[in-house]
Amino acid sequence: MATATQLVFVTGKGGVGKTTMAAALGLHAAGEGQRVLIVETAGDGSLAQLFGKQQLAPKPSRMRPQLDAVRVDARQLVEQYFSEMLRFRWLSDRLLSSSTFNALTAAAPGITEFLLLDRILGWVEPGVLRRKPYDLVIVDGPATGHALKLLRTPRNLATMVPGGPLGRTARRLLGLLGNRLQTQVVLVGLAEEMVIRETIETHTAIAGDLALRVARPVINRVLPHHFTAAQVALIEGGPAHPLLEAARFSAAVRREADRHVGTLRRALGVTPILVRQVFAERVGIDDLGPIGRSLSRVVLNGSTETA
Amino acid sequence: MISLKNILDRRLIVCVGCGGVGKTTTAAALALTAAREGRRVAVITFDPAKRLKDALGLDDLSVDPQPVMIEGGASFDALALDTKRTWDSLVERFAGSREAAERILTNRLYQELSNELAGSAEYMAMEKLHELAHLGTYDLLIVDTPPSSHARDLLHAPNRLLGLLATRAVSLLRSPASLLSGIESTAARTLLAGLLKGLERWSGLELMRDLSDFVGGFEHMIEGFAKRAEEVNRLLRSRRTAFLLVTTAEPYTVETTIGFHRDLSDGGFTVAGIIANRVLTFPPLAGVPESVARWEKGLQKKLLRNYEELRALSARDEAMMRRLSEATGAPLLGSIAAVTEPPTSIAALQKFATQLRST
Repeated sequence: MATATQLVFVTGKGGVGKTTMAAALGLHAAGEGQRVLIVETAGDGSLAQLFGKQQLAPKPSRMRPQLDAVRVDARQLVEQYFSEMLRFRWLSDRLLSSSTFNALTAAAPGITEFLLLDRILGWVEPGVLRRKPYDLVIVDGPATGHALKLLRTPRNLATMVPGGPLGRTARRLLGLLGNRLQTQVVLVGLAEEMVIRETIETHTAIAGDLALRVARPVINRVLPHHFTAAQVALIEGGPAHPLLEAARFSAAVRREADRHVGTLRRALGVTPILVRQVFAERVGIDDLGPIGRSLSRVVLNGSTETA
Repeated sequence: MISLKNILDRRLIVCVGCGGVGKTTTAAALALTAAREGRRVAVITFDPAKRLKDALGLDDLSVDPQPVMIEGGASFDALALDTKRTWDSLVERFAGSREAAERILTNRLYQELSNELAGSAEYMAMEKLHELAHLGTYDLLIVDTPPSSHARDLLHAPNRLLGLLATRAVSLLRSPASLLSGIESTAARTLLAGLLKGLERWSGLELMRDLSDFVGGFEHMIEGFAKRAEEVNRLLRSRRTAFLLVTTAEPYTVETTIGFHRDLSDGGFTVAGIIANRVLTFPPLAGVPESVARWEKGLQKKLLRNYEELRALSARDEAMMRRLSEATGAPLLGSIAAVTEPPTSIAALQKFATQLRST
């Protein structure tokens, strides 16, 4: 029996490098021969830009050998779902163009969250018609607060809507997210006090309350550890000069980073993966190799569990 | 030329920006500055992570304003939005009768919606803003918006709500069959009637019943909703409201900030200016100090390497700040040099505020 498609859901505070991590992980896995799909949910085109494109297509398209990417946006999800459900094209067109319907779907909380998960489910569950399923689906998810709501949606819907196809889908989603051999959440953070606190809170909420599998947190943009304690003392005592101010700055930032990482480790009982700051104007696809390698050591070991 | 001082004279300041850029700190620092000038200020956060309390040293930031004491006996108020409690108090205030309120509060759908599902926070943010603006207790309200796309949702919440109320969506939910009355063709009516039956089956009967109950309970609150939404809309677009974009020089953040600026402008909101936090400003290196030239070669090499790295980041920051200014045309009202520690005390916040004012 083929192993089930792995689902990795990447989240973290806005701007911490979720897209970078999702892409790095995807490229690495594709390089190892897995068939990978990366799902961009932010709609800001940052994943597309990494692959040298303006925007991703709403259908999975090939970025690299073995690696597809797709963009999902709320409006498109609502349209697709209802036109599939309604079958009669003229009817769905009419419904979708009615202001009532549009106002309702834009205003009703939770609809787009549900549809996003439903779409992901379609890429993860073995389809009858699909030639070859993906081995790995990586969701470049929304920022933490929103991601938490997203991950809670199936549970809420399953409670709210006990019967009907909606309730059934909600329960299938619950099953998928809750399957620890299949699904894991990757939290990305920075070694900054408030981000670390939020990472701890989110980890607790997802691993605890929602009982989902959460990989070791990834702490991005850590400055290198250049100086020994004795050297730092020497630098501190040195003259006021940009060269030494820069060294003091880096040493202080790194010291703070280590302190915050320590807080995280004590709070969660896990050691995070540190990803080094890239010293360039923009993180490019060539910077992702080493990042993907270190991430894959902890994130993708789910595939060995199922094997 | 607009300055930060002009902006503190306004009635409402909305801080918009990505998560983690120091938006909360900026909001708190502005509140502190205005309070020191004798204005009655409240700072509101809608961020579910409630980070404001970290910066203010308040452990229990709640939906009720709490005073934050600063030096010289001055103070400002701080509060955090609790979606569930704001919903509840809203229902209690506007439901018309105790029984009507009770019916809504105990509705299963209401409980789920008000508590958990995404989106309702934005409505409630709008309601709270309305409440505080009409209280008359404050000269200045400073709003710290939820991060990223949520800020957009927040700003569009009044329009979305109005859009919903303006259509017949609400009466449609109350009685799905009302959709049929507008359609003349018999064939279309028959099809639609079948569709509605299907929709009921699809969604589960209980959902439809709960939904209709829920909407029914809200029915006579709708007028008030619409009125308040319109007032918030006016407030957000008023000349006495300033939108501040808070950003760092980090490339991803700058691009997102440019997107915010575009969204705000398209939405008819006026961006008063930009505040940039944590900008690195290491200049090109002009030589090594004599004393350092005598240090061991290995350390010197590491010092130079470190400088090169920070120089690369500084150059990136400069380029990004240029890009930001070209893309938005908005004035840079304040720029805070990179600091290693985020302010987590009033004293540190004071320092931050001073730096913000002197730029």
